[in-house]
Parts: sequence; structure tokens; C-alpha cells
Amino acid sequence: MLKKLMTAVLIVALAAGLALAQTKKKIIFASDATWPPMEFIDTNKKIVGFAPELLEAMGKEGGFEVEIKNTAWDGIFAGLENKKYDAISSSVSITDERKKAMDFSEPYFEVHQAIVIQSDKPIKSVADLKGKTVGAQIGTTGYFVAKKMEGVEAKSYDEIGLAMEDLFSGRIDAVSCDDPVAAQYALQKDEYKGKMKIAFIVPAEEKEFYGFPVKKGDKETLALINKGLKAVKEKGIYAKIKDKWIPPVK
Amino acid sequence: MSAEPIIRTPIIRMEGVSKFFGDLKALDNVSLEVFPGQRVVIIGPSGSGKSTLLRAINRLETVNQGTVVVDGFDIRSKHTDINAVRMELGMVFQSFNLFPHKTVLQNLTMAPTRLKKVPKAEAEERAMALLAKVDIQEKAQVYPAKLSGGQRQRVAIARALAMNPKIMLFDEPTSALDPEMIGEVLDVMVNLAREGMTMVVVTHEMGFAREVADLMVFMDEGKIIETGTPDEFFNHAKHPRLQKFLDQIL
Amino acid sequence: MSDTIVKIQVTDGTVTDFKDKNLLNAWRLSFLGAILCMAYLVFFHPDPYMRVLKFIPDGLWVTFKVTFMSITGALILGLVTGLGRISRNRFINLVASTYVEVVRGIPLLVQLFYIYYALGRFLRVPDLLSAVIAMSVCYGAYMGEVFRAGIESIDKGQTEAARSLGFNRAQTMFLVILPQAWRTILPPVGNEFIALLKDTSLVSILAVSDVLRRGREFASETFFYFETYTLIALIYLVITLLLSRVVSLMEERLSHYER
Repeated sequence: MLKKLMTAVLIVALAAGLALAQTKKKIIFASDATWPPMEFIDTNKKIVGFAPELLEAMGKEGGFEVEIKNTAWDGIFAGLENKKYDAISSSVSITDERKKAMDFSEPYFEVHQAIVIQSDKPIKSVADLKGKTVGAQIGTTGYFVAKKMEGVEAKSYDEIGLAMEDLFSGRIDAVSCDDPVAAQYALQKDEYKGKMKIAFIVPAEEKEFYGFPVKKGDKETLALINKGLKAVKEKGIYAKIKDKWIPPVK
Repeated sequence: MSAEPIIRTPIIRMEGVSKFFGDLKALDNVSLEVFPGQRVVIIGPSGSGKSTLLRAINRLETVNQGTVVVDGFDIRSKHTDINAVRMELGMVFQSFNLFPHKTVLQNLTMAPTRLKKVPKAEAEERAMALLAKVDIQEKAQVYPAKLSGGQRQRVAIARALAMNPKIMLFDEPTSALDPEMIGEVLDVMVNLAREGMTMVVVTHEMGFAREVADLMVFMDEGKIIETGTPDEFFNHAKHPRLQKFLDQIL
Repeated sequence: MSDTIVKIQVTDGTVTDFKDKNLLNAWRLSFLGAILCMAYLVFFHPDPYMRVLKFIPDGLWVTFKVTFMSITGALILGLVTGLGRISRNRFINLVASTYVEVVRGIPLLVQLFYIYYALGRFLRVPDLLSAVIAMSVCYGAYMGEVFRAGIESIDKGQTEAARSLGFNRAQTMFLVILPQAWRTILPPVGNEFIALLKDTSLVSILAVSDVLRRGREFASETFFYFETYTLIALIYLVITLLLSRVVSLMEERLSHYER
């Protein structure tokens, strides 16, 4: 009797689970969690930050389940192309070159490229960087910006943290990266605090925004993400999450 | 066949020499004196310590107890420049030990030019004379691998002579040779003896011993059992172990 | 003088046997195949292959620099270590053995990270030099074992003959033992050279702008991942095959005397 009851309960539970799973689509996001405060690994080995929390909220509002897969930046786009995941949430700036290869969601964050230096160095503008070495993460807008600067040697790193370490030890003269990340390293990290500072924000002709890329032509995923993002912004949840994670730059 | 040694000071003096390999006594309280111009032949069964005794003279084998004085130098003393003493001691090995990466001529000139700073031309001239003496001058430019065993051993003798040693040590020089080659090597050694070279020879060649030895030494179990002239050894052996040994090999 | 030649195999060897005089052997097939493949891609699909090829030459130069500086460093360190390992001085022996033990127990990639960032933080060593030091330290330990084995493969009689002539220990080692050991040592050392060349690709992790990192930079900006890495693989193959040929030629030159 008891056995029969248990079996019945189990079947009902399974059916309910299946039904739930069917109604709620799961979107797998790839994230290079080395980009504090946007997305990074905390001491409990969990992926946390502005973007993961935003995604969670978007999922709730947009009616989809979120799974985040930690993926190395170098190759993160190739993985999307090969359908290893459905979308990328990794502080990907929307650029023309990238738009050729992938479709982007609505922008979710405005960034600027910041130049981080050792605090005692007299660098105040792009002109001061002439003849200097600027480090940045490979394949990021920070790297592209550094490469475009005249007379500057751009040096690419696998992770932004490694570039910061080389800046700290004096192997390079500056690091170029997104401003929230620059602020996180230069102003928040205990070891670097006081020894590094943001020298200036690189002047840009066009505004730069983060978006969530999906595989070209994946309209279904794109619609869900945009729906969630819109709802989160309208309900004021977005502002709360931003206040929680993003330190003021100046 | 040769005059009795006139000079009273021995050029090699070993006194109470012992050498242990673990519990095994390779040399057991051995004393031996060799005078300039003297030809000493050491015989004995294998493992009797005769090679160890010979190698103790130029410290290829370090001994545990006793005194070894060669040409006035206490070779057990830390203050003795053993390399300088070894230059006075030519050694010929059972397995020839020619330098395979050098030509025959280079085998002969290497030590004089490097160690005695003899000019190259002079060293080569002398080397050619020595090669003529051992009747192998036509092989001067050949590498040792191209020589027969007998030829190799004659070159090895010439190599030792190239340093103008005062004493020649022979460690079973014919034991690794094919029977038909033994004669050519013994001829060279007999000639050397006739010229008055001081020689200490470990060998099983009794004909050679009979012909050139001034002093015969019989060793067994690390001890010198009997010494005497060849006549005393071969015709009036006293010790039963020597008698037995000679019976076995003659 | 034994008739057998001792062979030492330590790591992944790619030195091909050039005794094989057939027109079609593995080396020729791979080498010509790689060259033809590259030529085809570059001439018939200049976009992106020509673009990749134009992007990476300075990276190739860095790869060469790191390789040859590291080989030099590893040879010196290997010789010193090999001699240390056979030293009768217990302290020197212990230092050399411990070095080999420690280095062999840590993956090269971890060593690279460690030495690179340690040298950067405490000694302010520039990046390329840090990479070279790290590679030398790692391969020095492996080469030390090759040198030791090579030296020990030489008959004891050679040492005794040299010492009995009056040569001291150093002269014996450098005039008699090492010139002979070199023959035994060269094939495994050649293999180490080639393994080292391939492993220099790991320094791209350290932000050293070698050929692989240049390729990755190109790919990350243009999204031509497959095309870029195809070309990079072919370039490595060609260089590796050329180096293995050089090593074989050196081996042939050294076999002018028979043992």
C-alpha cells in the first residue's frame, strides 16, 4: 500500500517536473568569470557579479531558466558558433566586427575604456602613452583601443588579472580595460589599492555598450533575453543590481 | 740477464698496505719494494689482489692502511699532487682504454701537449718515433676502432711512454688478446725491459716472466706469499700454494 | 670499448631516422605536405590566410628567440646538473638531485606561471627573459638526466686511462668523457630541443608575443579561428621538421669514428 502510494507520488512529481521544464526554456550563457565586478568567481567558487544577478532577474521576468557556464575568453565566440551554449554573458561590447558574426541583444550596460597606471606615474592622456607598453585582455575592446593608439605597444593577456599583475610588477606601463573593471582593480583590491589608479578614460567617438550575443539567426533566444531585460529595467530591478555591484569610477 | 740493481733507494715502497672491500680483504698487510731498473712480475690466481696492488701504486685504488711512497712522494698524503706523480707512472690496461674519439697519433700527443706543454710538432715527432718503436707508425692517422687488439695494446704502451714515465705498470696486458696477438705485445715489453725501464707487470705469461723478471711476486688472498727470482720460482718453489698454482698454469 | 651503443630515450622523440633513404619517407612526406598545404592556402585563399601570415612574423621571431635562448640555457644548466649528479661531493650531489626532483615534479605550465610572476614581482625581470629562464630551468633538469646517463655510459676504463696519464678530474671530463658522451647524448638532447621548441608555445600564456599568441590575437579579433590555427599548426610542423633534420645531420657528423 505504502509502496503504491510512493510510486504514485513519484510519478506525479516527475510529470510535474517535466511539464515545468517544458514550459520554461533553459538558456545557457557562457561567461569568462574573470571580469570583476561584472562577472567573477567568489571565494565560494560561485560565479557572481552584476551580470549573473541581472541574468537571474531577467530569467524570472522573461520566463526562462538561466545556466551560466564558465568559459575562457579566448575562444568564447568560437564556442557560440559551435553551439556549445546559447548565448554569451561576458561583458561583450557591441562592435561592428562582432555584429557580422553574431546577433546582439539590446544593450545592457554602457562602458568606457579606462587606462590604469601605477599611481606615481605622470600619465594623463593618450599622448603620454607614446613609446609605452599597454596591456589588455586578448580580443577585448580594451586591447583594440590600445592597438589603435599611435606609438603604443599593445600587449595581450589571457586574463585581465594577469595584465594587472604585470602592471603592478612594472613589466608594462598601463592596462586598458572597461571602466568598472579598472575601478574594481585599482580602487577596491587590497593589494593594489594606493599603488594603482585610473589615469583617464579614453575618449571615444561612439558610445560603447555591452550586449548579450546569440548565434546568428537565433531569434527565439534573443526575444526571451530582450523581454527579460526590458522588464527588469522597467521594474527598477536593474538600478538596484547596478547600485549593488558597480563602484563609482571617480 | 741484467745487472743487479745498484741503487739502494727503492722507487716504489709499499709497507703494511691493506685494502678492504666491505669484509673482503683485497690487500692484507702487503709490503713491497721496487728499485729503479728492476722488473717485477706479479703472479697469482684471479682475485688474489695482484691488480689491486698494482693500481694502489698510482692511486687508481685508494688503500685503507699502510704507506705507499712513489719516487719520494707519499701518495696517500693529501698534500701530494697525485697528477704529477701519475705523470711519472705509465699504465697499460687489460682492455687498452685507448681514446676512441682521437686518432692514434692524437692518443699519443694529447697528454704531453696538455700536461707538459710540449709543442705540438715536437710531441708529434716523438709520438711517431714511439709508434715506430712499437712498429705501428703506418696507423698514426687511424682511429682505434680500426685496429686489432694487439695493435691497440701496442698503441696503448706507446701512449704511456709518450709521457716519459720513470716506471711502467702493466695490468694483465695480454689477457684480453687473441692468442696470435700476444706475441707482438710481449715483444714490445721485452724490448722495453732491455732498455732498462722499471716495470711492474701483472701477468699470466710465464715465458715472459722467466725471460725478463728480476723479481717474482706470488700473491694469494690479498697476501704476498712468496718472492724470488724466476729460477727460484720455476725450479725451487717453496710454498705449496705456489707449487700448486704453477702446476696448474704451466 | 663495447660494441653496443647505448641509447637513451627521455621524452617524446620526433627525430626521424635518416638511414631511410627512400624517396618517400615520413619526413619528406610531412615536410613537403606541410609546405604545399601552406602554399595552396596562402595563394588560393589569401583572405584570411595571407592576412594571418602577414600578422605573425614578429611572433615567429619571438618563438625562435625563446627557443634558442632556452636551448642554450638548458644545455648549460643540464651540463652543470649532470656533473652535479655524478659529483662525489655530497652537498653538490644533493643540490643537483633535489633540483631535478623538484622540477620534474611540477608541470611545465605551472613552472612557467610561477617563475614568470615570481621573477616579475620580486626581481623585475622582463617578460621574454622570464620565459627563457623558466624554460631553461625546466629543460635543464631533463637535460641534466640525459647528461648524467650519457656520462655514465662511458666505460670506466676511459676515466682510469686519462687519470693514469696525469689528467685531473676536470680535464678527464672535458677532454675524454664528454667528447665521447656527446655521441650518446646528442639524440636524446636533440629530442629535447624539439620538445622544447614545441613547448615554447606555452609561453604564449604568459603574454609573450610568440607565434601562437599572435595567431590568437588575430583570431580573437577576426573570428577566423579555424583558419588561423590551421596555419599556426603547419608553421610549427615545418619548423619542427627542419630542426629534427638539423639534429640528424649533427648526429651523422659525430659518427665519424666508430667505437
